[in-house]
Amino acid sequence: MDDMIICRCEGVYLSDILKAIEEGASSVPGIKKRVRAGMGYCQGRVCQPVIRDMLESKTGGEKMPPQQRAQTPVRPVLLDDMIRR
Amino acid sequence: MSYKVVVAGGGLIGASTAYYLTKSGAEVTLIESKDIASGTSGACDRAIMLQSKKPGPTLDLAIESIALYKELEAELETELEYRKSGGMIIIETPEEMAAMEHMVERQQKAGIDVKLITGKEAQERQPGLSKDLIGSTWWEEDAEVNPLKVSFAMANAAKSRGAKIKLGTPVKRLLTENNRVIGVETPTEKIYADAVVVAMGVWTPKLFEPFGVDVPIIPRQGHILVSERMPSFLHTGILSAAYIANKLKRNHQSEDPDPFGVGLAIGQTHSGSLLIGGSRQFTGYNTETNPEVIRKIGEAAVRAFPLLAKARIIRAFTGLRPYTPDGMPILGPVEGMDGVYIAAGHEGDGVALAPISGKIMAHMVCGENSGMDINTFSLSRF
Repeated sequence: MDDMIICRCEGVYLSDILKAIEEGASSVPGIKKRVRAGMGYCQGRVCQPVIRDMLESKTGGEKMPPQQRAQTPVRPVLLDDMIRR
Repeated sequence: MSYKVVVAGGGLIGASTAYYLTKSGAEVTLIESKDIASGTSGACDRAIMLQSKKPGPTLDLAIESIALYKELEAELETELEYRKSGGMIIIETPEEMAAMEHMVERQQKAGIDVKLITGKEAQERQPGLSKDLIGSTWWEEDAEVNPLKVSFAMANAAKSRGAKIKLGTPVKRLLTENNRVIGVETPTEKIYADAVVVAMGVWTPKLFEPFGVDVPIIPRQGHILVSERMPSFLHTGILSAAYIANKLKRNHQSEDPDPFGVGLAIGQTHSGSLLIGGSRQFTGYNTETNPEVIRKIGEAAVRAFPLLAKARIIRAFTGLRPYTPDGMPILGPVEGMDGVYIAAGHEGDGVALAPISGKIMAHMVCGENSGMDINTFSLSRF
């Protein structure tokens, strides 16, 4: 058993990510859209650096693979708090 | 020798066109500047709402498209999360009620069995809806699907049927010879083809600018909020009447009292997250989120579902919908330029119309009869 979980929020395994890269993913969002890594509660805070390293090693580290865009809210926020004036 | 076709654009429409072209026996090359579903098709929701389509040609197309969706999971041997969920358009004010009564009447005349139900009936059908609603529409044929899965499954199916897929490859320009498009140029090569289909959504006009051809597609920005995973509770697709009013507005040249075009569109993904939209605003190619718009969408969501005040939002994003002045997509050849076709301009109807758009384009390019009157969608109508 040499597989392991890379994205815990969405339960995405190393093998899923390797498969996504094989399918043509060359960016963090490309992996996310194929296998949901980084789509969950922490929004890739934990898995994005690992995935970025994996992509970099595949591309020979010539250029930094595109990363997921940071979006509001920067951490989970109750809708109630978001709409309070 | 088989017919060579280049499809420019790897969103829902481009991937679908590539797939149906391979089914028609064409030799296909799909060229995409970034990645499959990296633009509009990766920044949208999952609704296939027929109710929200304008009665007429667009609605007819949507009905054909749904018929294709029903077979698509089996055909592509991939789970697409397609589900006939039914759909509601919720009504909050007497003014909205008058507008929706009128719309439902037109839909019933068009042969669609949409019903108006009371607020109480709406709550019974969808627990959690506010007691303040004065009514809702209901139609059981509305559906939902995961647009990411559709995009990738179509691209993969095209590939396994022999299509070449070039990701990370922008189309720099169309190659022409005596008013005929003979291929495309990328940063590294020239790719020649018998026909080129441009399915570049909001980025389509730029490719035609050098030829003096005006493609009236304008980016219309829409926001979506994503919630944390929640237990499955949304059984149907839900829009608000305000959403419909904003959708039908053709207002790219006018000053509008609600510049954000906020109306509720809410659905729940298989993972449990809610996708909560939306807004419609002309902001050029800007995809920054706007806190004021996010707040207004949040307010609309909590008004419809008071319990959502306690839901956590984990992300907000925007997508650029390809707006056209008459709200219908452009599917067809380009006058004065042979060998090139446009499949773009679906605004918020791209998810619903992807399969039929791809099928129509494949038939058109390969000279087969699609059995539909498609002149309605040609660029020359503008």
